[in-house]
Amino acid sequence: MSQPTSAQTDTKPSGVAQIARVIDRERRTLARTRTFVILGVGFAAIVLGLAWSSGGTSGGYVPTVVGLLTPLELLVPVLAVAFGYRAITGDAERGELDVLSTYPIGAHHHVLGVYLGRAIGLLVVVFVSLLLVAIAVVFLRTEPVGWYASHASTDSPILFARFTLLTAFFALTILAIAIAVSAVAREARTVIVLAVTALVVVLVGLDLALVYGFASGIIGDGSLLHAIAFSPLSAYRGLVFESVVITAAGTGPQTASVPSSVFGLLVWTVGSLVVATLATKR
Amino acid sequence: MTTRAHTDENAPERDAQPTTDESKTDSAGDADTDPLVTADEIDFAYGTVSVLENVSVAIKPARITALIGPNGVGKTTLLRALAGLASPTAGSISYDGPDTVRPIGYLPQNPAFRPGFTALETLEFYASLVGEDDPHARLERVGLAAAADRRVEALSGGMTQLLGIAQATIGDPPLIALDEPASGLDPGMTTHVFEVATELAATGTAVLLTSHDLDLVERTADEVIFLDDGGVADQGSPSALSDRYEADSLWETYERALTGDLHTIHVRGDSP
Repeated sequence: MSQPTSAQTDTKPSGVAQIARVIDRERRTLARTRTFVILGVGFAAIVLGLAWSSGGTSGGYVPTVVGLLTPLELLVPVLAVAFGYRAITGDAERGELDVLSTYPIGAHHHVLGVYLGRAIGLLVVVFVSLLLVAIAVVFLRTEPVGWYASHASTDSPILFARFTLLTAFFALTILAIAIAVSAVAREARTVIVLAVTALVVVLVGLDLALVYGFASGIIGDGSLLHAIAFSPLSAYRGLVFESVVITAAGTGPQTASVPSSVFGLLVWTVGSLVVATLATKR
Repeated sequence: MTTRAHTDENAPERDAQPTTDESKTDSAGDADTDPLVTADEIDFAYGTVSVLENVSVAIKPARITALIGPNGVGKTTLLRALAGLASPTAGSISYDGPDTVRPIGYLPQNPAFRPGFTALETLEFYASLVGEDDPHARLERVGLAAAADRRVEALSGGMTQLLGIAQATIGDPPLIALDEPASGLDPGMTTHVFEVATELAATGTAVLLTSHDLDLVERTADEVIFLDDGGVADQGSPSALSDRYEADSLWETYERALTGDLHTIHVRGDSP
């Protein structure tokens, strides 16, 4: 048996090239796994159904945003966790994480590739779902469309686009948390428990902590707008109110600090990916 | 290379066993070959459970080295430590091979691959990480080219094992660690797996494997390391070991070299 030296090059691919390989692997995994396809179609159908049944679509873009915000606060985390919670655990269970550690790919490149690959699928679902809602508004709304929110009480597709981007940002943050959970758990049973725990913490726990902090005086009146950025859910909600709802209404009390909320979501995203990298290095 | 002391009554020849240097010489007459990987007095413990104590071994290129021992004796632990996948709790492991893109290839026990991908796509992914562009050659090398387009979840156990070995060879690593490569395979496939290992060694690769198939180990291994009671009970070439224990086969040697009841699982250390 001869060595297949012709198949080999001497140079190791760059980190970017390796990340691209992992992204492609994750992307193909999502496309070929029926569960993700069903999940995506189901999410789109539910969002579209909620938008229509709430009556928002006939009222315009901002009423639709107001109608969808609370359901999406629950649905987006569930979708994002479903997309990410087994991404690294599956490789660990099969022994492929050990195999990968014998290849010249850093844990940070691997984790980033997994995250970006899963993010592509997640973003497709979020964008397509909200695009369908936007199309529904175009056909079902009773008021004429105003493109620019230049004055009070203006409805605009640009506001809906802003809402879509913020929802995507929120989804990416929760996906990063799910990837961290997947890297830390390493086993099927553990990852389910941790994923549910993470969902409860994100959906309820951090908000309750904020309420407790405010009620007990730990969080002062002056710092509340910044403190809510501590919770990804509150940060997302605050950003939607500040950037979409209040902009359209033209007036109202400040509900969040936009810079703090953006910073909070970024910290959760980057911090979770760092945790995932450290856990993958074990 | 050091070995542990032996005192059991089943091995009367052990008092006269060769010294460290003699062990190297009788292995295959290649004492001048520099080791690729050396473990120096390593200990390994899972929490309070000690698995390996004071183990020293050297893995040389162009040879098949087989780790042999009862279930639970620490074969996989030692193999993983030598492959750099687990850090010993004491002692050191050094790699002195060439600076290559992938120094060590690894086949886990019961390998599995991400479902939804074909055998070729699976190898394409791994090959892309080291800059290889012809993973099909790897499949041909292990005799799996005909199943290139079959999804991994539809491969038989033997095919999956061969795919795992093909994966382990990607990047032409100087050392390939195979953890029970013939586990659960029929006799024909088992023989084929050992033939592949032999061919890898013939190209200069150091092949380190664990196995319970003593007949095939006797026929193919250049070096056998008996693990027992947390350490190396003995080591050498199959023929040298047979001579040393005045045994007709590696199985007989195994019985005489190891302490205790071979029909009972030995549990080391305190319960956590």
